[in-house]
Amino acid sequence: MAVGQVRIKVPEKAKAGEVVIVRVLVTHPMEVMKFKDGKPVAKQYNYIHRVEATYNGKPVFEAETTQSVSQNPLMAFPVRVMEPGTVKVTFQDTQGKTYTSQAEIKF
Amino acid sequence: MDRMREPFGRSRRRTLKLLGAVGVAAGALSVGTLLPVEVAFAETLGMPQPDEKVADTMKRLFGGRPVQDAGGRLKLDAPLIAENGAVVPLKIDAELPMTKDNYVKNLYVIADKNRRPMNARFSLTPEAGRASVSTNIRLASTSDVRVIAEMNTGALYETKREVKVTVGGCGG
Repeated sequence: MAVGQVRIKVPEKAKAGEVVIVRVLVTHPMEVMKFKDGKPVAKQYNYIHRVEATYNGKPVFEAETTQSVSQNPLMAFPVRVMEPGTVKVTFQDTQGKTYTSQAEIKF
Repeated sequence: MDRMREPFGRSRRRTLKLLGAVGVAAGALSVGTLLPVEVAFAETLGMPQPDEKVADTMKRLFGGRPVQDAGGRLKLDAPLIAENGAVVPLKIDAELPMTKDNYVKNLYVIADKNRRPMNARFSLTPEAGRASVSTNIRLASTSDVRVIAEMNTGALYETKREVKVTVGGCGG
């Protein structure tokens, strides 16, 4: 799987005031070492360390993660939706790269 | 003759040698110097920050403020035994308030025996509606996993459980 593919999963429909669980995943090695022939040969810090989610532009969730989060980080977080809209999630890794995606929540 | 038997042998060896050299060079550059792409490290809470004992992590995060046991209000769902320490699913669900004046602002996941015990911090807003977060973490070895809910008022609630790990998940 290529690095930095973001998948977002939201329920198809929601009701006003409902707490929706948003599931997100980004493919990422979450590594701190470079390996050669199964042996660590050099330090290489390359892991997601920030996650930001907004709903209709308003910040709803934020996470600070470390190398102790599993490869291909998976996260589920809640949003109480008062109106239909767009949830947007951005991941940032320690190499400065960002990965983002969005999904619609319809009523 | 050599060329006849392995038509791509020579060039493949050459390519591997070149990749190897590039790898060594990249390795040499990334260790010890702060390149522009690695500026983000200074902000991160994970490695390469130094190892810590959990007591020091707690002190650093909460400055000695009292941490109360959450009672039944903060639930942590985690396997009793994690076959693979590299992927330990956690499900946190709090029955704590989420109103504008009193809400769960942060959820900290701390694994006592990891080299840097703080695994992650999740931050919520009252708009979240419920302090319910799931993720997968890495555990180096059998350890207590604790979740600490920090309210916007500063109150701290903790729940913890032991997760036995068969195969450590931090790359040895």
